[in-house]
Amino acid sequence: MGKLMPEEEVMSTPHVPPIDAELALAEMQARRAQVVDTNLVPRWFWPAVGGMMLLFVAAVESAVPWVVAIGSIAYALGISAMIVAVVRHSRVQVRTALIGRSGAAAIALFTIALVVIGIGLGFALEAVGVPMPATLACLPVAVGLVVGGPRLMAHLRRLMLARPLAGSR
Amino acid sequence: MTDTGTGPARFDELIHAPTRLSLVSLLAATEWADFKFLRDSLGLSDSALSKQLTTLEDAGYLEIRKSFVGKRPRTSAQLTPAGQQAFAGHVAALQEIVARAGLAVLPGEPAR
Repeated sequence: MGKLMPEEEVMSTPHVPPIDAELALAEMQARRAQVVDTNLVPRWFWPAVGGMMLLFVAAVESAVPWVVAIGSIAYALGISAMIVAVVRHSRVQVRTALIGRSGAAAIALFTIALVVIGIGLGFALEAVGVPMPATLACLPVAVGLVVGGPRLMAHLRRLMLARPLAGSR
Repeated sequence: MTDTGTGPARFDELIHAPTRLSLVSLLAATEWADFKFLRDSLGLSDSALSKQLTTLEDAGYLEIRKSFVGKRPRTSAQLTPAGQQAFAGHVAALQEIVARAGLAVLPGEPAR
């Protein structure tokens, strides 16, 4: 409570039973959850990206011209179709302030970790003369996307729902 | 009116009406929301939603935008700064009512 409200302003607030106020706040929280859930990347997105990336790298690394050509075209078409599907599906854009710095840091950390693992492992495998080093290095990255992607989304969801209903603006 | 740290607490009759409370709560969590998303989420007809949107637009609480995604027209709505401020004030007012009664405030909300 803290401080008292001036009398005229107390008078301007209609009598609202505390339970109604509580229910109104719960409704606000539920509607936020609805927006957040609608806005998260769908679950099929992560295995799709991981699988396509793996096939693309394997196709390029095969060095067989027709495999490279088909792999590149399939990758370009697949990525485009996914972007179109996600954009068409998006009917709402979650408020950026809800993601905040910690959410942006989590996304950046996830991306950097996968890139470092992929590149580092690729060079290491190439250095020891393992065949198809890039494709092999892509495997843990693809697994990371499939396993880590939904976890990242769950983490972002928790962050967004934990923010105060008002005040992060 | 008290300052709660999230802006001054101000009960807003316009926002508190049940349908508009749900509508503004959805919009408060978004940068923008598609008309169909709002309609489906609230279970309203096109005309009923249009009426509520117009009421809020007339109060200066939201802005309606029309754009195209490909060749398809898309109508979307977003809260104006005045609408965001009114929502924040209303949240603070409700939290004050709850806190005064000694009920639990939702997780993540500042206790007063």
